[in-house]
Amino acid sequence: MFVHIRNLAFKYPNAKDNTINDFNLTIDQGEIISILGESGSGKSTILRLIAGLDMPTNGNIMVGDHCMCSNSTFTQPEKRGVGMVFQDYALFPHMTVEDNIKFGLQKWSRKDKKNRVGEVLELVNLEDYRKRYPFELSGGQQQRVALARALAPKPKLLLFDEPFSNLDADLQIRIREELRRIIKSTGVTSIFVTHDQDDSQALADRIVVLREGEVAQIGTAQEILGTDCNFADRMPVKPRVLSRV
Amino acid sequence: MKWFRSLKTTMNLWTVLSVIFVLLVLLPNLSIIVQFFAEPNENWLHIREYMLQNYIQNTLILVFFVGILTLFIGTSLAWIISAYDFPMRRFFQWGMILPLAIPPYIGAYTYHGILNYTGVIQTSLRNQFDVTVNQQYFNIMNMPGAIFILTIFLFPYVYTITKAFLARQSTALVENARILGSSSWRIYFRVVLPISRAAIIAGVSLVILEVLNDYGVVSYYGIQTFTTAIFQTWFGMGDLQSAVKLSGTLMVIVLGILVIERIARGRRQFSFTTTKVKLLQPVKLEGPKKWYAFGFCMFIFSIGFIIPVIQLIYWATMTYEQFFSIDFWQLIWNSVSVAFIASTIIVVMAVVISNFARLNRGMLAKTFPKITILGYSIPGAVIAVGVVTLFTALDRQLFGFYEWLGLEPTLLISTSLFMLVFAYVIRYLAVGYNSIESGFDRIGTNFTEASRMLGMSVTKSFFKVDMKLIRGAIFGGFILAFIDIMKELPLTLILRPFNFDTLATKAYQYAVDEMIQQAAIPSIFIILVSGIAIYVFHHVLEKE
Ligand SMILES: Nc1ncnc2c1ncn2[C@@H]1O[C@H](COP(=O)(O)OP(=O)(O)O)[C@@H](O)[C@H]1O
Ligand SMILES: [Mg+2]
Repeated sequence: MFVHIRNLAFKYPNAKDNTINDFNLTIDQGEIISILGESGSGKSTILRLIAGLDMPTNGNIMVGDHCMCSNSTFTQPEKRGVGMVFQDYALFPHMTVEDNIKFGLQKWSRKDKKNRVGEVLELVNLEDYRKRYPFELSGGQQQRVALARALAPKPKLLLFDEPFSNLDADLQIRIREELRRIIKSTGVTSIFVTHDQDDSQALADRIVVLREGEVAQIGTAQEILGTDCNFADRMPVKPRVLSRV
Repeated sequence: MKWFRSLKTTMNLWTVLSVIFVLLVLLPNLSIIVQFFAEPNENWLHIREYMLQNYIQNTLILVFFVGILTLFIGTSLAWIISAYDFPMRRFFQWGMILPLAIPPYIGAYTYHGILNYTGVIQTSLRNQFDVTVNQQYFNIMNMPGAIFILTIFLFPYVYTITKAFLARQSTALVENARILGSSSWRIYFRVVLPISRAAIIAGVSLVILEVLNDYGVVSYYGIQTFTTAIFQTWFGMGDLQSAVKLSGTLMVIVLGILVIERIARGRRQFSFTTTKVKLLQPVKLEGPKKWYAFGFCMFIFSIGFIIPVIQLIYWATMTYEQFFSIDFWQLIWNSVSVAFIASTIIVVMAVVISNFARLNRGMLAKTFPKITILGYSIPGAVIAVGVVTLFTALDRQLFGFYEWLGLEPTLLISTSLFMLVFAYVIRYLAVGYNSIESGFDRIGTNFTEASRMLGMSVTKSFFKVDMKLIRGAIFGGFILAFIDIMKELPLTLILRPFNFDTLATKAYQYAVDEMIQQAAIPSIFIILVSGIAIYVFHHVLEKE
C-alpha cells in the first residue's frame, strides 16, 4: 500500500462537530481514487489534511515510507512532495505559464528546469503557450497549465479539488478522458474530489463515497454505481457497503 | 504530545514576530491601566472634585454635535452625489474628500484669522462700507466655533464610507423605490439612512474618535476637554500621575463609544461583497434642481476647502521670503524623515501580523488583528502618556547599564526620537494594517497554498507571490500612514525631543504665538501633500 490514512479526524475551530470523522483509506501506487460526495460533505477538507494545509485533530497519514502526520509529528506542506490542482487553478497571475511551471523546480539546475518545462507542456499539449500569462488563456488551458505545474516537480501523490467545476459540460467530458490518459502515463498516484458521479466513473479506479465527513462506501465504479441504471438509482444511498477499511 | 506538535508547527518567524509586535502595541496601554489604579495624589482629588465634570461635559457636547452634524452633511452629500447627476458631480466625487487634507487645527486658526478684527472680512467691511461690527458675532473661538471647525473638516469620513456603500450595495432597493415613485427626500429618509446604518455609524465613530483625539482646535479656541486637561496637568502642573488618571478616564470613554458602536451597528457588519455588484446609476437632474444640488455641494466645498486654502495662500505670499530659509528645509526634513521611518515600520509590522493572522487558525490569529487596530481608537495624548511612563520606567531599569557604559544622560530613551517614532507606530498601525489586510483579503489564501504545495516555505511564498500581489495595498497603507503622521499634532507636541520641530508643530506654534501669516507656509505644505495623496488614491488605487 502506498498511501495509508488511518482514523483521520478534523474539526474547524469555529465548528460544533467534527468535520471529518474517523476517515480511513489505503491506496496502491499509481491508483486513481475519486472521493465522491455532496457539497459540504468534507471533500476539500480531506484534501487539505492530506496536503498538510490543515492539521488533523487525530489520525495518521503515510505516503510512501514517510509519515506525514501523526499525533506527534507534522510535516509542512512544502516538505511533503504532494502536488495539488486547485479548484480555481490558483495560477500566479504575475507569472507566465513557463514561470508558473518552473516555480516548483527551484532546486533543479537551469538545464533540467528547461527540459522539464518542455516535457510537461508537451504532455498537456501547450508547447506554444510558454510565454502567455494566465489571463490570456481559456479555462481549459488554465486547467492544463495547473496540471502541468503540479506534475513538474514529480510529486509522489497528486490531489485534484473539483477539477471540472469551472469548465463547460462538453469540455468537461473531453478533458476527463485526457486527464486520465495523462495521469496514467505519468504513473502518479492521484486523488480527485468531485460531486459528479460521471466524473468518478470516467476517471477513477476506485471510488470513496463520503457523507458528512465519514466514509459511506468504497469500491470500484461498477460496485458502487452499477453499470446501466438510471441517475436516481445511482445516487449512493445505503446499499452494499462493500468495504469499511 | 499534540500540543507540542501544534507548538512546533506554528512556531516560526512570523509567529514570534507577531507576538512581539502585539506586545509592543499593548505595553503602553497596559502601563496606563496599571497606573490608573495607583494611589491618587492630592492634585487628582482636586481635579476630580472641581474640574472633571467640566471636561466630561465639554467633551461630550463636542462629540454629540460634531457627530450629528457630520452625519447629516456626510450622508446627504453621499446620497446626492451617488444618486444624481448635476454640474461638476464627477469632481465633487473625490473633491468632497479634500477637506480631510486640512488638519482641523490649521482650519481653526485660518478661520479665526479670516473672522477676527484684522481679518479680511472685518477690514473690508470697515474700509469699503465703513461698517464696524459687534465683535461678539464674529468671535469663533468658542464651543460653537470648535463644533463648526471639527464638523467641516471631519465630515468626509462619513461621506466616503457612506458613499462607497451606497454606490455598490443599495442599487436594488433604491431603484425599486424610484420605480414606486417615492420622492427623493422620502427615499433619503426611508431607504438610504436605514439601509446604510452600519456604514454611517462606522463613519461617525471615526469622526468621534478624531474629535476625542483633537488637541489643536480645542486648545487654540480655549475649550477645556480631556486632551487639553492632560496637557495642562502634565506640563502646566508637572503632574504626570494625574495625567495618567485623566488618560485612563478618557480610555474608558473611548471604550464606551466602541461598545455603543458595536450595539448600534447590530449584527449587520458593513462589508463590501467582492462578487459582482451593480453600480447605482445616477439620475440626471434638470432645471433648478440641478443648481440646488450643485449649490449645496459647492457651498460645503467652499467652506471646507476653497476659502481656507485661498486665505492660506494669501498669507503665504506675504511671508514666503522669511520662510524659504534653512529652517524650512529642516522642518520638511524632520517631518518627512520621521513619517517615513514610522510608516515603514508600520507597514512591516502590519504585513507580518496580517500574514500571520490569515494563515493560521485559532485564538491568536483571531485576537491579534483586534489588538493591532486598538491604537487608532486611543487619543494621541493618551498614547503619549502611556509611552512616556513606559519609557521612563525602562530608562530607570537601564540606569545602571548606562552608568556602566559611561554615558552621562540618565534618561536616554525617554528623551529620544525613538520614543516619538514608537508612539506614531502604535497610533497609526491600524491605518497601514487595514489597507494591507484588505489587500490580503482580496487575493485570498489560494496562491499561498499553491506556492507551498510547490515546495516554498511560508516566507518564500510571501516574497515570491503574496508580496507581489498586494503591492498596491502595501503602498496604499504606507501613504495613508505617512499622511496621518505628517499631520499629527498632540503626540508630536508631547514626545518630540527638545528643539525638534515638524511642519505641524511649527505651524501650530506660530498660530499660538499670533503669527498666523507665518503659519501659512508649513500648513500649505501639509495640505498639498495630503491633497495629492487623496487625488492619487481616488484616481489610481481605487481603479486597481
Ligand atoms: N474555514 C472553515 N471554517 C469553518 N467551517 C468550514 C470551513 N471550511 C469548510 N467548513 C465546513 O466544513 C464542511 C466541509 O467543507 P468542505 O470540505 O469544503 O466540503 P466540500 O468540499 O465537500 O464541499 C462544511 O460544512 C463547511 O461548511
Ligand atoms: Mg470543496
